[in-house]
Amino acid sequence: MPYLSDLLGKPVADMDGERVGHLEDLIASLRGRVPHPEIVALVVKRPGGTLLVPFSDVAALIAPAIPLTRRLQDIVPYKPEEHGLYLAQDVLDKQILDTNGVRVVRVNDLELVRVNGHFYVANVDVGGLGLLRRLGLARIAQWLAARFGRQLRSNIIPWDDVELLPGDQPMRLRVPSDKIAELHPADLAEIISDLSRSESSRLLESLDVKTVADALEEVEPDFQASLVEAMSDEKVADVLEEMAPDEAADLLAELPQDRSQELLKLMEHEEAEDVRRLLAYPEDTAGGIMTTEFIAIPPDLTAEQAIAVLRQQAEVAETIFYVYVTDSEGRLIGVFSVNDLVLAQPQMPVTKFMQRRVISVGLFDSQDKVAQIVAKYNLLAVPVVDNEGRLHGIVTVDDALDKIIPTKWKKRLPRLYH
Amino acid sequence: MTVWQRLKPLRIRLWTLLVILGPGLITASADNDAPGIATYSMAGSTYGYRFLWVILAITIGEIIFMEMAGRMGAVTGKGAADLIREHFGVRVTVLAMVCLLIANSGTTIGEFAGVAAGTELFGLSRYISVPLAALLVGLLVIQGSYRHVEKVLLALSLAALSYIITAFIEHPNWGEVLRQAMTPTWQGGTDYLLTLLAVVGTTITPWGIVYMQASVADKGVRLDEYQYTRLDVVTGSAWGNVVSAFIVICTAATLFAAGIRVETAEQAAMALEPLAGVWAKGLFAVGLLAASLLAASVLPLSTAYAVSEAFGWERGLDHPVREARLFYSLYIGMIVLSVAVVLIPGAPLFPLMWLSQSVNAILLPVLLILVLKLANNRRLMGRWTNSRLQNGLAWVLTGLIILTTVFLFASPLVS
Repeated sequence: MPYLSDLLGKPVADMDGERVGHLEDLIASLRGRVPHPEIVALVVKRPGGTLLVPFSDVAALIAPAIPLTRRLQDIVPYKPEEHGLYLAQDVLDKQILDTNGVRVVRVNDLELVRVNGHFYVANVDVGGLGLLRRLGLARIAQWLAARFGRQLRSNIIPWDDVELLPGDQPMRLRVPSDKIAELHPADLAEIISDLSRSESSRLLESLDVKTVADALEEVEPDFQASLVEAMSDEKVADVLEEMAPDEAADLLAELPQDRSQELLKLMEHEEAEDVRRLLAYPEDTAGGIMTTEFIAIPPDLTAEQAIAVLRQQAEVAETIFYVYVTDSEGRLIGVFSVNDLVLAQPQMPVTKFMQRRVISVGLFDSQDKVAQIVAKYNLLAVPVVDNEGRLHGIVTVDDALDKIIPTKWKKRLPRLYH
Repeated sequence: MTVWQRLKPLRIRLWTLLVILGPGLITASADNDAPGIATYSMAGSTYGYRFLWVILAITIGEIIFMEMAGRMGAVTGKGAADLIREHFGVRVTVLAMVCLLIANSGTTIGEFAGVAAGTELFGLSRYISVPLAALLVGLLVIQGSYRHVEKVLLALSLAALSYIITAFIEHPNWGEVLRQAMTPTWQGGTDYLLTLLAVVGTTITPWGIVYMQASVADKGVRLDEYQYTRLDVVTGSAWGNVVSAFIVICTAATLFAAGIRVETAEQAAMALEPLAGVWAKGLFAVGLLAASLLAASVLPLSTAYAVSEAFGWERGLDHPVREARLFYSLYIGMIVLSVAVVLIPGAPLFPLMWLSQSVNAILLPVLLILVLKLANNRRLMGRWTNSRLQNGLAWVLTGLIILTTVFLFASPLVS
């Protein structure tokens, strides 16, 4: 199958064999029924300008000189549509996302495929062989490799797995598809950390608030802060509301004081209050890493009623695995797991099956201590209480362990002078 | 807001002169790495004040190109290698990256030669110190603990400031210094041309341009705040060359006057004797060592990064080795090569340091031309393209470097 790099620069001749110019680019349309871009026009470089030749006027694409089916003066120039993709200009040599391999790669070449007389972009070549082909060295390299009993394999990605990065120039490329939104937030976070700053902020800008919030929760707070630096305050406030309060508080703590105050003002009152409360505690204490989204019920409920509460609040809670029981003063008096709840008789009061000896940590206990307790008692979350025993929040196992096993992310460049 | 208004609240906080001068001085001394110190010492001791005008002229050139790189980083948010690949295709990229690799490998060799020369002044064999330094640099950077050592090295590199003090102690004829700095002179001959290229190549370096653009892009400077970055770039470049000029003045006033043409680190250290006496060697060695280690930590890494970026290879220290083989191979390969060259028995350390800078200058025009074309690309830069004056000066400089190279290669044929 032909490669884009083989075609570019080829002479183009009209039906009389008269030279029109040479091929500068191919325009592909993403609007067909096929998910692959279809070649719809040729960009032909002529002395003093370019001519867009509709693909219907092309007799054959794979030829030493590309022949057209009309005379030069009879050609009706192709009118570029909004979503047209200029393969050489917009895709070749650019960075793209490989959504299957979850990585950022550079396009070394594009492989076209012919189906029923139409040409489509089939694969993206991201390997060394593609580079060698561009240098005109592919044959020699393959021959050399064969001499040593090896075979050079090309490294290609099917177009289905490819996502273009929101480009710098054309508006028409700024349509993020579902492929990115469907990635696991941790994978998306990894891709973001592989991109340059401007590319990552453009990518984040193009995603919806929920996806951004999920991805941000997967990266270290100082990197979060650098990512939202360029985002508008309104969008950041929306993202913060969407994030768990403890994560949001961590992020805000990394931002300059005046900006975080500004953002707190923009956030919905209730979410902002949660975050404010968390911000009051030092970053490396139980209070600093806890979340306030837990489920607590009064002691006078039955198992059945507790399940009803659970259903209602499950949406906002960080974990529903533990249900905490507090008295009228908010003091923690017991805990039970969803297991206990499901196995209990519907009419049984929760005080009958709850654990009364609750493992808890203090608001100002160090993160290390929290991690040790979570590990020692095999907990999925540990409640955080103040001196009077009032329940303020919970630390889930992932936040507790973050201290010991930090999410990997290092600054992209070592700094030389500052 | 104008720059001045912006500085107003700052002004209140600047309660000592040191606070203003501090960061600038650190940048300035760290700017003068081992190849730099070697080149300027050699130039000053061999030609007296005759290279001062070159430093003056090349400072303007450096400011122009560094500003251009910084601006491209701010506007596009991308590195130079990235832009070159996207706009010029594979062939030109290969050419540019080969040049960058050769130039930067040369400079890294120069840095490790600096380590060798520095420790040998203390009587420690290079066969111990250089592998140790390479291991240290590699480990610190890969491990990410480089930042802690960085400050120590930066402080030690302040030793370069002793050139300024020494120059004043020596009471050179300042009128003569000024006159020579203002009068361009020229002479033929391979030695002179090589020195000229070395002075150019150690002041405007390919890696300096690439690093500047990458760090501005990485910092994510907002365009409405670009003027402060510009101020940073311009003052940073100017400061570095003030120290360079003083190295020339100092070595000219001491060594050139005494008829000593520097060919070893020991001779170069003698330039500091008026200030430090018997301690001159130690002072010189510390400065050389700190500056070499600083640059050796950053240079191979930023090169591996740029090349991997251009070809789309996985890169960055947050990737495990098996995911980013080519990136790590480049990084480690450059360090290993440099160590190997420096450890060749009898390898002349001092010439290695400054000759690598001549190579830099010979390869420099490739990058300069590409950067110039990119910085004038309206589609890329919008209203941030170069001014006419900037373009004019930049092209003249590029042309002169090419011309000097042509003269260099033609001069043996003519004579």
